[in-house]
Parts: sequence; C-alpha cells; structure tokens
Amino acid sequence: MNNKIAAQAAKRPSKSEFKDKEKPAQIRGSNIVAAKAVADAIKSSLGPRGMDKMIQDSKGEVTITNDGATILKQMKVLHPAAKMLVELSQAQDAEAGDGTTSVVILAGAMLETSQQLLTKGFHPANISDSLLHFASKAVEVLESMAISVNLSDNASLLKSANTSLSSKVVHEHSGMLAPMAVDAVLKIVDPAQEKNVDLKDIRIIKKLGETVEDSQLIDGIVFTQKTQGYGGPNKMEKAKIGLIQFCISPPKTDMDNTVLIRDYSAMDRVLREERQYILNITKKIKAAGCNVLLIQKSILRDAVSDLALHLLAKQKIMVVKDIEREDIEFVYKTLGCRPIASLDHFTPEALGTAELAEEMQAGSSKLVKITGVQNPGKTVSILLRGSNKQVLEEADRSLHDALCVIRCLVKKRYLIPGGGAPESELSVKLTKFAHSLKGMDAYCFRAFAESLEVIPGILAENAGLNPISTVTELRNRHAQGETHAGINVRKGSISNIIDENVLQPLLVSTSAITLAAECVRSILKIDDIVNVTRL
Amino acid sequence: MAVALNPIQIMKSEAEEERSETARLSSFIGAIAVGDLVRSTLGPRGMDKILVSMGRNEGQIEVTNDGATILRNIGVDNPAAKILVDISKTQDDEVGDGTTSVVVLASELLREAEKLVASRLHPQTIISGFRHATDVARQALTETARDNSSDQAKFRQDLIKIAKTTLSSKILSQHKDFFAELTVDAVLRLHGSANLDAIQIIKKTGGTLRDSFLDEGFILEKKIGVNQPKRIENARILIANTPMDTDKIKVFGSKISVESTAKVAELELAEKEKMKAKVQRILNHDINVFINRQLIYNYPEQLFADAGIMAIEHADFDGIERLALVTGGEITSTFDNPELVKLGKCDLVEEVMIGEDRMIRLGGVALGEACTVVLRGATTHILEEAQRSLHDALCVLTQTVKETRTVYGGGCSETLMARAVMEAAARVPGKEALAMESFARSLLAIPTIISDNAGYDSAQLVSELKAAHAEGKTTTGLNMEEGTVDCMEAVGITESYQVKRQVLLSASEAAEMILRVDDIIKAAPRKRTADQGHC
Repeated sequence: MNNKIAAQAAKRPSKSEFKDKEKPAQIRGSNIVAAKAVADAIKSSLGPRGMDKMIQDSKGEVTITNDGATILKQMKVLHPAAKMLVELSQAQDAEAGDGTTSVVILAGAMLETSQQLLTKGFHPANISDSLLHFASKAVEVLESMAISVNLSDNASLLKSANTSLSSKVVHEHSGMLAPMAVDAVLKIVDPAQEKNVDLKDIRIIKKLGETVEDSQLIDGIVFTQKTQGYGGPNKMEKAKIGLIQFCISPPKTDMDNTVLIRDYSAMDRVLREERQYILNITKKIKAAGCNVLLIQKSILRDAVSDLALHLLAKQKIMVVKDIEREDIEFVYKTLGCRPIASLDHFTPEALGTAELAEEMQAGSSKLVKITGVQNPGKTVSILLRGSNKQVLEEADRSLHDALCVIRCLVKKRYLIPGGGAPESELSVKLTKFAHSLKGMDAYCFRAFAESLEVIPGILAENAGLNPISTVTELRNRHAQGETHAGINVRKGSISNIIDENVLQPLLVSTSAITLAAECVRSILKIDDIVNVTRL
Repeated sequence: MAVALNPIQIMKSEAEEERSETARLSSFIGAIAVGDLVRSTLGPRGMDKILVSMGRNEGQIEVTNDGATILRNIGVDNPAAKILVDISKTQDDEVGDGTTSVVVLASELLREAEKLVASRLHPQTIISGFRHATDVARQALTETARDNSSDQAKFRQDLIKIAKTTLSSKILSQHKDFFAELTVDAVLRLHGSANLDAIQIIKKTGGTLRDSFLDEGFILEKKIGVNQPKRIENARILIANTPMDTDKIKVFGSKISVESTAKVAELELAEKEKMKAKVQRILNHDINVFINRQLIYNYPEQLFADAGIMAIEHADFDGIERLALVTGGEITSTFDNPELVKLGKCDLVEEVMIGEDRMIRLGGVALGEACTVVLRGATTHILEEAQRSLHDALCVLTQTVKETRTVYGGGCSETLMARAVMEAAARVPGKEALAMESFARSLLAIPTIISDNAGYDSAQLVSELKAAHAEGKTTTGLNMEEGTVDCMEAVGITESYQVKRQVLLSASEAAEMILRVDDIIKAAPRKRTADQGHC
C-alpha cells in the first residue's frame, strides 16, 4: 500500500513548476464573485427589519444571530478572497464594534462597481487609486455632516445605543438594555480625560433562565460560583472581603515530601497537627475581621481543603473559591481590596468592605453577588438573563455592540444620522464632486458614489419598501439639501431621521468606508492565486 | 552472456538523466516560468498574489507582492527554477529589496540565451559575452551613481526618496509619504548600525494603515503585576531570567521525609523565607522595575508590590533580549553581587492602550536608537504584507546608510546600462557581440515589464525612453503616475546603488550558472519502507 503511494509520488510530473495558474482577469473575476457572494449572504440581516440567520456548526450547535461578524465567522468560507471579507468584518468589529454587516455590504458594492469598471477596460491600479481618493473624500463629507455630542448628554447616547440595538432580536428590550450600556460605559470612564474605553472593565455574566428583561446592571461584582456551604453563611451584611492567593490546605513543600508514620500514635499526631495547622490559619483570618473569603484557584494543590471549609463555616465565614488568576485584577479593582498572597499579609487594611454579599438563586444554579462596595473601582458587571441559550448569546452580542457604540462616542464625540441618510448624502455630494474631476478618476468616482446607494436600497428592501422608489426619493430629498433625510423603517416613509432619534456614532461610518475601501483595493491588486506547499 | 546483451545501466533504476539539448531546454523552461510567475508583481503598479497553502495548513492564505515571499513558498521541482528561488532569497538576505527584479532579469537573460542557443551559438560564447556585458553595465552604473552623504539634509532627502521608491510597489504605496518619513526616522535613529533588532514592529488589527505610528520607545506586550505602580519615572530596570515560582533544588529526585505535618509546615515556611530572601536580594539592586522571563508567583509578586516595584513576568526570550539591548542592561540570573550587575535605564515606564490591548511602554530608553513601529490595518493579511514592505524599506535604508551612493530608478538605470552595453557591443568583433546585444535587450525588459504592469503601451514608452537617453538625457525614466517618460531627478525616483548592483551581478551569475548546465541527473528517490506499525 505504502509502496504504491511512494511510487505515485515519484511519478509526479517533474517539469511543472507550479499548478493552477490562471489568467489574471479570470482570477480577479473569481475573487470578486466570491467576495460578492459573501456580501449577498448577509445582506438580508441589515437594518431594523433585517432578518436573523441560523447557523449550525459541525458539532450541531446552533447559533442564531443578526451580527454580521458572527455570521461570517461561523460560515467558515473557503475561498481566499471571501476570507478577506470575513476578516474585514472582524476588523470593523475590533475598531468600532458595530456596522459589521454594513462594512461587508459596502465592500461588496464597491467590488461590483470595480468589476463593471474592469470590463470597461480600466486598469485595476487606476480603480484602486480612485478608491483611495474616494474614501478620504467620503470621510470629509461625513465629518461635515456630523453633530457634536457631549458625553454628559445622556439622551443622545441613549439614542445611538438604541439605534444599534434596534436591528437585533432583543430590540424590544432596548428600552432597558440601552440605558444599561450607557450607564456601564459612563461609570468606567472619566469623560473629561479619557479617549478610550477598556471594555474588559465591563464584565458580562450570562446566566440561563428568566427573560432578557430580568437582566441587570450590578454595581459591584457577581461570581458564577456558589458559596461553599458546610453550614456556613450564604448571606453577609457589612461584608469584610478578603481575596487570598494562598491555599488553606495541609502544608505542601515545593519539593516532594513524604510524612513517615511508624506507629499508630504518630498517625494520630499527624491528623491532629494538620487540624491545628488549618485552624491556625482560619483563626488568623477571623482575627483580621474577615467574613467573606474569596480564594484563587490553584493548580498545584487543593486551594482549600474540606477540613478548612468546615472550619471556616464554623467561624461564620462565607467562602467563594475557584477564582481564576486572570480575574484577580478585575476583582480587586472592583472591591477595593488587595490580593493577599501569604498569611503574614492578612491584615485588616487589605480587606475590602461592602454592604452586602449574598448568594442568589438563578434558575437551576446559584450566583454570589456583592453590592454596595465602599470605595469601588471603575468597573461594572452586567448580569444577562435569557430564556434559552441562543437568546442569551445573541443578547450578549447585541449588548457588546451597544457598548462599542458608546465607546466610539467616547473616542470620537460626534454623531451622524442613521437610516441610510449618510450614504445617500455621500452619494449625492460625491457625484457632484465627481463633476469637478477629469479623466478616469471622475468616471470611477461617479461609479463608486452610486454604489453607496446600496445601503439605503437594502435597508428599504428589508423593510418591505420598494427599493427603487425609496432610493430615488431619498436622492431627491438630499439633492434639495435635506441632509438628514433617511428611511424611517417603522413608518415606512422618508423623513428627517434625527427627529426619529436614529443616530449613530461618526466613527462607525467613517471606519466602515475606509476599511471597506482598503479591503477592496487589496482584492483588486491580486492577479494570481498560487498554491504553495508551506506557509 | 545475458549481461552483455542488456543495455549498460550505470545509475540506479529510478534515477533520471537529461542530456545536452533536453537538459538545457528543461532549465530554460523552468527558469522562464518562475520569472513569468513573479513578473506581474514588478513596479509601482505591480499586482499581488494570493498564496493558498496546501497540506498541513490547508486553506491558510497570504496576500503578497514580495517576490521573495512568493518564491520561498512555492515548491519548485525544476533545478533551474530552484536556482532562481535561491538568488531571490540571497537578495532578500543581502539587501532586502529587488527580490523580484533579480529573478525577472535572470529569466529574461535566459530567454535571450535560449534564442542564441537555437541559432547555434555555443553556451560558452554566450557566457563570455554576458560577462563582458556585465562589466560594462556595472561600470556604467557606478559612473552614474551619486553620493550625497556629505550633506546631511540632502542625504536625508535621498533616503526619503529611496524609501518612497521601495514602498511605491507595495501595499503601503498610498501612504508612502507617511511611511517614508517613518522608516527614515527609524533608520536614522540607528546611527549607522545595521541592527534592525532595535526597531520593533508590532502589528495590531483595527484602524487603518494611516493610524500606524513610530514610537520613540520600546513597547512590550505584557501586563504589569497586580497592585503595582502603573507608571514609573526614571526607571532602573533589572532584567532577569530566574525562576520566581520556587527556588527548587535541582538535584534529581530530591525528596523530603519528615515525621509530622508540623515539620512539613516548617519546611513550607522555610521555602517561603527563601523566596523572601531572594526578593530581598533583588531589591538590594536598588531598582524600581523588575522584568523576568519566567513566571512570577503570587507571593513574590505581592512582595514586589509592597516594595512599590513594578514587576513584569513572562517576557518572552525575544522580548527580553531586545529589552536588554535597548535599555542597556544585562540579563541576570544570580543576585548576590548587586554592584556588578548592569541595570537597564529609561526615563519612563507606563501602561498604554493600543487598539483594545494594554501594553507597557518604555520611553526614553538608554539606547537612543531603539524605537517601535506600531502597524495598524484592517486585516491580518494587510498587516503581514505591510510588515514585509516595511522590512524591505528598512533593509534598503540601512544598506544605503552604509553604502551611500544612489542611482535613479524607474527603468532609468537599466536603460542607461543597456545603452552602454549596446555601444560596447558595437566595438566587439566576433560572436560575443551578439550575446552582449541580447544582454542589453534583457536589461530593457525591466522598463517594458514595469510599463506593461501599469497598463501602458510599453513599446511606445520604452522607445521614447531609449530616444531620450540617446539624446543625452541620462536621467530619464518612466513616470508611472502619469504614464509618461520623465526626468527621474524631478520626480524623485531614486534607488540604492547597492541594490541595483546586486541585482545585476546576481542575475547574470545565476544566468551563467544555468547556461553552463548540459546534464541534469536526478538521484533515485529514497525508498520508503513499508510501515511496520498498525494500519
């Protein structure tokens, strides 16, 4: 059998240097077709009336989502050019967090336009140059129509969070989730100074059961672990919290050790000493005034032994164990305590104080919640609830999008109208601008300007409106100077979208245009797909 | 008797041999095919390729314009093709740029040689003609090279022009002004040393290429320990490679036997004391930043925090060596002689946020040469390619700082050399003259391909170019922005003399080597023995 394979390997044609070399135009064509197919696949999920997709992965797990980046990630595309679009939506996710569907649709529209231009005989390099020019001009126009926003202006922030949530399955709860997102971000930043938000300071905890409405913003911290029982308390008012990184279990040296037991009395002694040793530790903990103990997970030995748990319970100390080392930073920041790595450091000063630490029943499992923290750090926890796993996951993604939207506003404090208004405005303004250009640039510019109308078109289509009449009316209104005219999906008409409170951060639109343009340009530049043996 | 009748077999049965005409044909075909594969990537409007990996990393893709990267990855079987792949690699190692040009030139030389061989010219005659032509071309190139190293301002201008020319064919072309400044700044900071290690490149997805920046410090992708200062001025840094988990005695099978648990507890305490003593010894170095290659456990971490020292764990090998280089410290692993240890120094250590991640920035490092380029881009493919382009530009610039002469690009130098070779050929009696003329034609293929790739009429442009040079306008070259023939001095397209010379010499050497081949012997493949294991 193996000999046969070896013989086949030896018989390989020896004079071919590489395989599958096709003509550049063909390659470019197939790249564009593949990339457009990706854009087409997700276009129905754009906008407030966009549809969701159900994706089943190879293990049979089902995801239901409206989030472009998630759909594409799960699709597992094969074609190299299609992969680039998937990456594009992920880049938008990292940069702005929202608009992951729009960016792919924009790229698809630009590619379609490029293909038309290519068939007309334009050189890809020329198209690529114009596209760069186009993107920078588009950003200028967008900036000119932006409305400055103040972070203390809660209403505007709410509006943009609402817009982002409106397309998701959880939009009926947006009245609750949007303020939650705004509060969460505002709690962890100092609007006067900071230009960026570390979303790691917002912890989202998902717990199955109840409905999305029962989600809550927790001013404090939530652990998904339960308390350790053994008759110990599971509710503690005026909690003194100790966060320890050492272990409460029989001593163990780093070197291998053995305890030699020669007779029965020695065995007794060992047991007694072990008990004494642990009792000592727990006494010291109690002496420092601690009544809630958080214990870091240890892989080398038992972080806390059964005996220790028993003794701690007797001393009326509430215990939460298995806290991951990565979470320590978040925990100590939230609780205002200091992590304690050895018993000698276990002093009252290192403890954190909170009003209440209690164990709650959440569905079939339990949670530990600590609230009313004295001198709390700049962190926030959100407890998400949902009746099934899919809803919970989608709620998490939607909330993440909303948080990102607020973060965009912290980064760049401008809002622009949504509902297809910016794209229509760009299309009209840039078509006009194209008249002032000459040569190929002018031609490409006009074509790309027209391609932007794909967004309002799809928006209208998904909302069940007639795309052609909607887009042309929109164009007309914008030409007459109504900069803020957009598609009002709820009413099915065109109106001043700002009055409808449909607002989105400027950064989402600008980054969508620049990222899409960058991606399209790199696809245009490709003229060959080469199979290689190693990479 | 039977043996005498059989055909005489010298080699093993599966070995192959190709002789004279066939051998030459197969090497010509192989080399020309490799040249054709990369020729479309040449020049400012060259195209990119997608490399799709087969086998182990099936489906992984890479988008690139870099000749060396493409050739390194395609698996070639043809020996002549392999030679071309090798010269491209050598070019990459030696000067960093011109990896495509060298392969294209070599394959053009062979294409011409094939015609000569077909017209019954002996390969040795062709070789001697090529050698003569190479000498003439090199002389012409050296004569036209200029040296501005005496004038600082002018030299900087030269460098910027070279960087722009190199970058113009890459993904960074649209931002070449920006990146040219960036790379020149980075290279000039090196003060002539060619140690590219001091320039660190960090890639972060998100943002656009435009958001990339040069940081005059050193950035470490690590986290600061819990509860430790996040900002330290006038840092004195101890760089160490020492275990900070346990101070294990490294005797094989060391083991402790005790008789009671209390003894174990004592030993555990002793171990802790040992660690404490070690930390104290480290503290004796009068430092405020401690960076370790290995883990730092919670206990020592807390001790450092108590002492107000910033402790950074798990800095990888690469990071730690660069750190030692840029801060001027030494990597230590024993701490008994504080006075002998060289500490690293920098003005400021702080935590910064890049994209979504927190990192540690060391500003004002002792080695003023060090700097970090943070690249931002939409997708990882773009970032990878940007890094390659940047690396090329940095290589060329460091070469130019060493060998300060420059020549004009845009096909100008090639035309100049071709003209010189043609003139010389006119004075050479004998068949060698034919080979020299062929050599000149091959040189002219470079401007032809450049203008072909840009979508212009190459026959027209190259003839204009030749005419201009004949009139004595020896600075004329191709301007691919406009699609015209222009003075390269005015347009500012400059290349490094070193790179050009290397291209010329490597290409002609490789062509000569392949030409001399008249017999290709392939050894019999190693027999694969059948697998004895389970099937």
